[in-house]
Amino acid sequence: MLPRAERALSDWLASGARGIGQLLIVKTGGFSLRHREDEARADLQVFRSPNDATELARLDDAENYRPLKTAPNLRHGWVLELADLPALRLALDLFYPGRLPALAAWEANQLATTPLRATLDRQTGMYRSAAKISDGEIDELVGRFCRSRGGEPGCLRTILWARDMTGARPSLRLPLDKFIAPVDQTERGEHVMPLLCQEACNLLVAEARKVVKDSSNRAERTGFEGSC
Amino acid sequence: MDWQQPESALLIVGHGSTVNPDSSAPSLAQAEAIREHGVFREVACCFWKEEPSLRDALLFFREPEIREVYVVPNFISEGYFTETVIPRELELEGRLTTRPGGQVWKYCEPAGNHPAVTELLLRRAREIAPGVAAAETTLLIVGHGTALNENSAVAAKREVEKISALDTYASVQNAYMEEAPLISDWARLTTTPNVVVVPFFISDGLHSYQDIPVLLGIESETTAAASQREVFRRNPHRHHGRDLYYASAIGTEPKFAEILVEQAAAFDTAALDLSPIA
Ligand code: SF4
Repeated sequence: MLPRAERALSDWLASGARGIGQLLIVKTGGFSLRHREDEARADLQVFRSPNDATELARLDDAENYRPLKTAPNLRHGWVLELADLPALRLALDLFYPGRLPALAAWEANQLATTPLRATLDRQTGMYRSAAKISDGEIDELVGRFCRSRGGEPGCLRTILWARDMTGARPSLRLPLDKFIAPVDQTERGEHVMPLLCQEACNLLVAEARKVVKDSSNRAERTGFEGSC
Repeated sequence: MDWQQPESALLIVGHGSTVNPDSSAPSLAQAEAIREHGVFREVACCFWKEEPSLRDALLFFREPEIREVYVVPNFISEGYFTETVIPRELELEGRLTTRPGGQVWKYCEPAGNHPAVTELLLRRAREIAPGVAAAETTLLIVGHGTALNENSAVAAKREVEKISALDTYASVQNAYMEEAPLISDWARLTTTPNVVVVPFFISDGLHSYQDIPVLLGIESETTAAASQREVFRRNPHRHHGRDLYYASAIGTEPKFAEILVEQAAAFDTAALDLSPIA
């Protein structure tokens, strides 16, 4: 029997899914992977090992490091030819780490999601203070940071976690589609596998800490000025 | 590698970085090498600051054939990450954790604790200064040294003691980036005509690559990542009337893949301490 992630992958492809995130998957003898916006290009540089995905996913078009692999800044200009389904799975695990296992768990109704406040409350060390973020600041931060288009740099995942135990959506500034899988987060309206976010990433936690720090610095300054 | 584990998976846990692409490179490269050897049914990495996260790794290895998961921290020593962050994020209850389906996760010792690390440090030192007389050379092993990871300094001291006992170099000393003896004082700390600096880190991520050359005075500012620069290829650097040799971190050595596998194997052979993690 196929491993669960490969089974999920082959079911999605059989259902006509065109790809995942910004990747286009074309069935050839094996599989061919490229940027969805490169579909019509014939001048692509050819790669053949699934492990090449590490290098291809590392930098954006401007050669900047991509700390968040699900950000909408996948580089263009290459095509990765893969021999079979296991090779495709390995490449996707490197392009979008952890997303196939999450998708497979979601389809099996086994994907536990963690509310943002639980993630923040669990932190220790330098990130402990992130838990002090207010609901209003979460609304602004998630609306800015996780946005599929026009974020900083944004992220193409579908948010499945709630703000807290009340089940509230973390941000009212994001379109409802941001919370619904499998909507195509690139806004091309195609049938693609969703990139799921079952728990806030470390980048968002780090950003929450920054928001708390900035607002306490502001409060200190205002307090100081107020006492003059 | 004779040890075969077709019913087991290996999970390599690295630190990763949001700013430096070199930080996760050693873990990814070693995972690729171990996968090719076919020791385990599956090999995966997860990172504190990159994807996949440690939380994502909770969803890995869902094949019923995988009965055991060896978790090997790709860290230089025990410390805050191995004792607090990894157990918390991976929901480990101690050295052994049984998941609801019966799968057992085995929490192994960090890579840096492996005895072969000493040999790797020595090999690095020899490689970057070929033909340089050890009797006229000081070897500096550089650790980070912060309150948050006090054990990394202890581990660096242990390596210095082991290498000193071999009586090869004129002098073997520790130096740190953030506490005394400071690496930036290297010229004052040493008297020999040659000084070889080997960082005691897994990767040429932030600490080793971007900060140490500046502290040594061989670069004026921290710029791009290691993979995009030249500093290791310009040895020796002539400073303060001495020849200074600077090595890259040991985690990318091909031998490191064996160390990760052996840390997993050692879990089964070691007398088990089943007490909860501190
Ligand atoms: S929290 Fe999830 S949706 Fe937001 S940026 Fe991180 S990975 Fe993307």
